Amino acid sequence: MLRERRWLEKIGKSMSTADVNPTRLAIGFLTVLDHPQHGLFGGYLVLNAAGRPLEFHCTAPIKPNRAQEILYGPTLAAFLYGEQIGQTLLAQAKTEPALVCTDREPALSVRHHVSLPVALVLPPEVERVDVRPDGPTPVIEGSQRRFRLDGPHLHAPKLIAFQLGRNRLAVAERADDDRRLVAERLGELAASFDLSEPFQRIREAIEEAQQAVR
Amino acid sequence: MQTSGFIPIADGGGFCWRTAPPPVVTSVDCRAVAAPVAIESAGECLNDSLAEPVAVVAQSVAIGGVSPRAVSVPIARPVVKVRSFSFDEPLAAATPVVPATPAAPPQPTLESEVAPSIVSTRIKPPGDVVKLEDRLQYILQPSLESLLAERSLTFPFYPFPFQFEGIAFLYPRHAAILADEMGLGKTMQAITAIRLLLRCGEARTVLLICPKPLVTNWQREFAAWAPEVPVMVIEGDQTRRAWQWQLPDVPIRIANYELLCRDRELLEATGKGLAPFAAQRPATNLRLVPGSTQTVPVPLPPHFDLVVLDEAQRVKNLAGATSEVARSIARRRSWALTGTPVENSAQDLVGIFEFLAPGYLSPEMKPRRMGRSVSDYVLRRTKDQVLKDLPPKLFRDAELELSPEQHASYRMAEDEGVLRLTEMGASATIQHVFELVLRLKQICNFDPATGSSSKLERLEADLEEVAESGRKAIVFSQWVGTLEKLAGHLRRFGPLEYHGQIPSSQRDGVIRQFRDDPGRHVLLMSYGAGGVGLNLQFTNYVFLFDRWWNPAVEDQAINRAHRIGVDGPVTVTRFLVLSSIEERIDRVLQEKRELFDIIFSGAEPHRKLGLTQQELFGLFQLKCPGGPLEAAA
Repeated sequence: MLRERRWLEKIGKSMSTADVNPTRLAIGFLTVLDHPQHGLFGGYLVLNAAGRPLEFHCTAPIKPNRAQEILYGPTLAAFLYGEQIGQTLLAQAKTEPALVCTDREPALSVRHHVSLPVALVLPPEVERVDVRPDGPTPVIEGSQRRFRLDGPHLHAPKLIAFQLGRNRLAVAERADDDRRLVAERLGELAASFDLSEPFQRIREAIEEAQQAVR
Repeated sequence: MQTSGFIPIADGGGFCWRTAPPPVVTSVDCRAVAAPVAIESAGECLNDSLAEPVAVVAQSVAIGGVSPRAVSVPIARPVVKVRSFSFDEPLAAATPVVPATPAAPPQPTLESEVAPSIVSTRIKPPGDVVKLEDRLQYILQPSLESLLAERSLTFPFYPFPFQFEGIAFLYPRHAAILADEMGLGKTMQAITAIRLLLRCGEARTVLLICPKPLVTNWQREFAAWAPEVPVMVIEGDQTRRAWQWQLPDVPIRIANYELLCRDRELLEATGKGLAPFAAQRPATNLRLVPGSTQTVPVPLPPHFDLVVLDEAQRVKNLAGATSEVARSIARRRSWALTGTPVENSAQDLVGIFEFLAPGYLSPEMKPRRMGRSVSDYVLRRTKDQVLKDLPPKLFRDAELELSPEQHASYRMAEDEGVLRLTEMGASATIQHVFELVLRLKQICNFDPATGSSSKLERLEADLEEVAESGRKAIVFSQWVGTLEKLAGHLRRFGPLEYHGQIPSSQRDGVIRQFRDDPGRHVLLMSYGAGGVGLNLQFTNYVFLFDRWWNPAVEDQAINRAHRIGVDGPVTVTRFLVLSSIEERIDRVLQEKRELFDIIFSGAEPHRKLGLTQQELFGLFQLKCPGGPLEAAA
């Protein structure tokens, strides 16, 4: 039995040292679902560096009324995604993330309301981005589809796209410094962390929450 | 579009200022203005009247005030309702892959290649998790591949996608049956799911129960798939076992079913089985000292975060001691591994579910309803579904005639037996029928008087081919006596025996020798000893010398060879003597296969299925007392 006690001491050590080096880095992921019947659902997920969820916040559906559609005109999407949904969701979170990622371009306008760098995560299948500040509408040339970077009006913010690790990102031109901040704060995690993946989790969570309501 | 400026006044010669938008004008101020007109004389002769000043008449026109109506359009800023959920960080903190020396952050570049996305397996919440927060806890987790990578869990080889799905199925469940067809890696999937639970801190003590011959196999598999997880085998005398059961913080214990029954008193929890709040239990219980009023503290039965039953069909019989003990073990999670959750009847599944979720199924349920009810608890995949690239399993039925000697013996035995049963009338029991069936099956193998065997002749011919091609074959029989006779006749093929009369300590050596010795072409196995848990994928031929009572056991035997890693097609030869009891039993086996399909694939039943006492008596055209036959197989 002495032999087995030694063995137990050994296994105690091996199990307790299994996981080390925790990190407090958190990343926020913001997206908006456009439901044809209910309207817009916002979702905000805060993950730790290992991709494990820390917080999740989602909105009840919102629908712009006719007056908003007329008066906000082409800026309506940025208002709804960034100000009304994004700002509200980010304000609810207890964890301060190092940066916020979104996969919806109008949500980049949340940058006006927070002091965090905000990056647009471009679809992984996109191969090449042309950013031509003075040229015609910039587009991303994809292998299978085309993806507009700008809004459909003259005042859409221009974007700066860049590759960071395994992720393809873009920031608003007027927040150009975000590019540096995002790179600094993600650090080497950019090489392994797939920043486009968590949005699927948010969409599934929003659908689950809606089913629970029904 | 109008602009600001002077405009001429009609009939006047004056001007007025008109203001551009806003277009609404409340009044127009019109007044007389002096309009000096200088007239120069054109000559002396002009009439003096021309020198008189021009009379200018100003006229005021009242337009009238138009009061504009201002319409305010409210731009509502409704309060957005938000639902919030917080999650605890896992007990074992996140461990991202970070190099030892901090690397410089990658610099953003405008042009570079994008890493291809990888397939990911998501962990879905089980159906019995109803609280939204709990469901989101699962939905919002990263993919299984990420979780495994995060924990730096390595594998001897990268699992198949369907194996990841199996792990993702087991991991979140408190009650689950992994019912994959044999050879798809149930062991590996269970070990990886256990490993993940341990590494995430969601389980600390796991008990794995398996048939005794498979204990060493499980040890090997743990060493291969979870080398960092310590494993303790419960063994030795009672004192030692009692100590082993009570040891705290042992991650994995492996026990066999037989031992479980012997240690019944040590294991049975007073609360009977599933105890989700075991953490609140006291460490000891009080027991009254016989003959006095004093009490002494005694240790409580051990509690486990997870109990896994391998070959879980062992607990299908609710009245059996094995089932009773297994159900009484205090535990939070219960998993069952079996390739044959339904061997004979739907009642088998009810028995297994009494361990997993007592009362969830009832024997009265119809198979299709039962199938729907268990769909969230059972994961069943077949090789055809998930291993498209696995070499095929080729069946061939060797339909034989009895040799003349066998035929004479068979006819005599059947006539005598049927006559005896007929004479017994209502006093004939199922045991009497079984005796006759077994007797006839043995004659189909060998003639008891002369040793003549048409099956042996065929087997020898086939084995010649196997040996010449350098391949190996397994021959299954339900009788040790038959296997021993075969060993005598097949010496030139270097036969090895693996059955109940071979000591457990020698069995691993037999398997090793069969695998490594090129002169050993035949392994003679009993269904009981070699049916489960062995990996014999280096074998390409399987012979079923006689048939077992239910197809699930036959499938298990066949899948010892036809499993992941097999390097070519597996040919299965089923010996069947025509116009004999074997042919009649074959029809019953086929019906049992159909029952399985109904429960696990939702197929429509074609007819009433299952082996009844009436049908067993019917093998000999006899009437029976009636009633279902539970123990037929």
